[in-house]
Amino acid sequence: MSSFRSGSSLDALGGFGRYALTQVFRAIVILWGAFTVTFFLLQMMPGDAVMIRFMDPELGLSPEQIEAMRVLYSGSSNPLVQYVHTIGQMLQGNFGYSVQLGVPVATLIAAALPVTLRLAAVGFLLSLLWTLAIAVGASLLPLRWLRQALHALPGFWSAIPLYWSGILIIQLLSFRLHLLPVVGVGPWEGVILPAIAVSLPIAAPQAKLLLQQIEETEQLPFVMAIRTKGASRASVFFRHILPNSIIPSLTMAGLVFGELIAGAIVTETVFGLNGLGHLTREAVSGQDVAVLQAIVMIGATGFVVANLTVDLLIPLINPTLRSAPAGRKETSGS
Amino acid sequence: MPAYNALYVRPVLLAFFSMLTPLSLLPAESYAHGRTVTYLDPQEHTNLYPPAGGFYPNGGILSQITDRLTWQDPQTLEIKPWLASSWSVNVDDTAYTFHLRPGLTFSDGSPLDAPAVALNFQTYGKGNSQLHFPVSEAISNFDYAEVVDPLTVTFHFTHPAPGFLQATSVLGSGIVSPATLRRPFDELGTATNIIGSGPFVVSADIPGKEVDLEARKDYRWGPQTSQGAALVDRIKILIVPEDSIRVGALLAGQADIIRQVEAYDEEQIRHAGYSLYAPSTRGVNTGIALRPDNPLVADIRVRKALLHGTDRQEIVSTLYSQSYPVARSVLSSQAAGFVDLSDRMKFDPVLAAGLLESAGWHMEPDGLRHKDGQILRLGVHISLPHPQNKTMLELLAEQWRRIGVDLNIMSGSAAGVLLDNLDPRRTPLTVSEVGRADPDVLKSEFFPKNRDALLQKGGQSTKVQGFQDEHLNTMLLGIASSTDPAERLGLVAEVQEYLIDQAYDIPILEEPQVYAASKQLKGLAFEAVGRPVLRDLELTGP
Repeated sequence: MSSFRSGSSLDALGGFGRYALTQVFRAIVILWGAFTVTFFLLQMMPGDAVMIRFMDPELGLSPEQIEAMRVLYSGSSNPLVQYVHTIGQMLQGNFGYSVQLGVPVATLIAAALPVTLRLAAVGFLLSLLWTLAIAVGASLLPLRWLRQALHALPGFWSAIPLYWSGILIIQLLSFRLHLLPVVGVGPWEGVILPAIAVSLPIAAPQAKLLLQQIEETEQLPFVMAIRTKGASRASVFFRHILPNSIIPSLTMAGLVFGELIAGAIVTETVFGLNGLGHLTREAVSGQDVAVLQAIVMIGATGFVVANLTVDLLIPLINPTLRSAPAGRKETSGS
Repeated sequence: MPAYNALYVRPVLLAFFSMLTPLSLLPAESYAHGRTVTYLDPQEHTNLYPPAGGFYPNGGILSQITDRLTWQDPQTLEIKPWLASSWSVNVDDTAYTFHLRPGLTFSDGSPLDAPAVALNFQTYGKGNSQLHFPVSEAISNFDYAEVVDPLTVTFHFTHPAPGFLQATSVLGSGIVSPATLRRPFDELGTATNIIGSGPFVVSADIPGKEVDLEARKDYRWGPQTSQGAALVDRIKILIVPEDSIRVGALLAGQADIIRQVEAYDEEQIRHAGYSLYAPSTRGVNTGIALRPDNPLVADIRVRKALLHGTDRQEIVSTLYSQSYPVARSVLSSQAAGFVDLSDRMKFDPVLAAGLLESAGWHMEPDGLRHKDGQILRLGVHISLPHPQNKTMLELLAEQWRRIGVDLNIMSGSAAGVLLDNLDPRRTPLTVSEVGRADPDVLKSEFFPKNRDALLQKGGQSTKVQGFQDEHLNTMLLGIASSTDPAERLGLVAEVQEYLIDQAYDIPILEEPQVYAASKQLKGLAFEAVGRPVLRDLELTGP
């Protein structure tokens, strides 16, 4: 403790600074790597967006005119020159234009990203709600068959394809019950139905895990002890069983959040949302390299930033870890 | 302590369902304003440079926001005045002079005059390499535009251009403001950047979701008897890719018009009392074009066998509806110069088998025809823009299988399909179709320098070894440059006969664009190739 006070706090900060710098540097290297790999992979694909756009028989251009377009768009046929040019532009925040749609890539992303994030966030919250509702119901409902039905529900949900449940939800809630329209609604109303659709397959594994944990916890001796003291079912459940069972499924919830983004392509097509999933599908089918490159970079940045935050926060939250990088020499010395 | 139940469980469920309740009031409110029309399209628009207007979602927007110099009557196919009140052509069809109506303005207030029109056609006819503008498919032999006086403009051509008058009426020749054409090509994918003189103006464009059109109150230069402004205030074009959702939304009263109704959905829409519209695209029919450069289909007997082995009646009655007439020629029966050739392309599997036999393709125990150890297997790519194309090809494969031909149905990435379709070895067959209400459409589809459906030497493909049909090409050029209308239609008839006699093309059906609309909606019209015209829409009833 005394060594900690005697001037080593500055040392520790310097150590943390060095640690932070290393982490940031590593993050930048990963981003650069992701950019480079995608750039050259996209280059290796046969054909390009210019070809798809202008060889479209609808335009009926002559081969010479198409060749002229290609030279105009890429500036140079040398991929290395294009690579340096693209990276330079990206660093200045210029992501180029979508050849297919004739719109700046930044505009497309700005329109799509909030849609997907909103869907993911609402879907995620709903999935937590389902998980809790199932767990509570399956443990506390008075009827045995109802409890058993709730137990079986997660397995059933995870077997339903998102495409099918999406259409069913629209047919039922929107077209039959007229609860809310599926077309021409505002950004928040428009997210409710798709969020219900995505939340089901996400909730299924969480609920399964939670039910399993609850069963295990119920077998523990302390639960038996409390029960024999005469506590009600509900109070035992909410005070002791649930808190002791929920941690693993919360961890799991963090993991499945990624699945929400991946499932976006199907959901956004069914519900006609203009999010990243929709954009990715369009860009892939039109081989719109600039858009694909930007989407990959968004994904990579999200991943890198999340990891970097965790790496930087851990030593701040947990002092033993914080002093570790700087204190190693000291501890070995003292 | 059963109170826990009430404390925890019920509020959670209640909270969720109460969240939905107030929202159920929304539709009633937002649909009460009757002058907004909601239009659902399966695809989002791409670049809105007018010559790219052939793509349906683009045409759906451009048709409302731009006007053309002339108007083609969709019934008679006659060319009538629109922005131009009159015109004249010189004797050899190399100079066209148009006199504009006075007082025309673009929606930004700038005048629509001769210099503006000249700039439009200069760009469409010659392209602009600096700003990346490609040339228009509809305009051939363009030389330059000349401003004679503020309301008179003359276009000069290097060679006779008899198709030009009709070309001034197509969506691809929509007039936009000079400011629009001074933007680089890449900025024209944003609909709000397209300034036209049409009855509607783009007020918002949310990529991948929605385009909003507002009626222009001072519009008064429409092409027909009612020349005034639109009767509705606003059109919301929404992107809904999923077929069943578009149909469901229409039937649930959430939309007024939907584009692209599949044949199998027509019955339920008609049954519910909604209106179906199936305007013809009036050009080259949906069919299979053959590439004789591939040795497998180089023999005319093989090509004829495929033509006679195709039961188009079965395809249409099994998969499609009354909106899809059976093809009777390469051209649509509603196209100018159509000749009924049903007699020459009859379904006759016995004749087909005999032709294959005489060409040296013999049936083997595997049920397929072989020659010199090779199987008669022909590749074709699914063409996504055409309704039920995959199912159609599968049925065709079944029919051809009966005469011992194996149709290999392929699919792939957009670039892969494009490249394959340029290589006659990989695709001896391709799905072909073009919509345009002028005989020039035959040249567009089959001429090597245009779409080159047959893949000739000297055309779009570098993979072609030697196939070239000078006789066909001479006739096609004749159609594009013949100045005598009667002679032109004569050539159109000759080309249709030649394409069938050579079995270069197997026509299957006349492709319509199928739309459905709600009962309250009146006045939905279509231009000559099936793009919607929304100016005269009227919402009646509640």
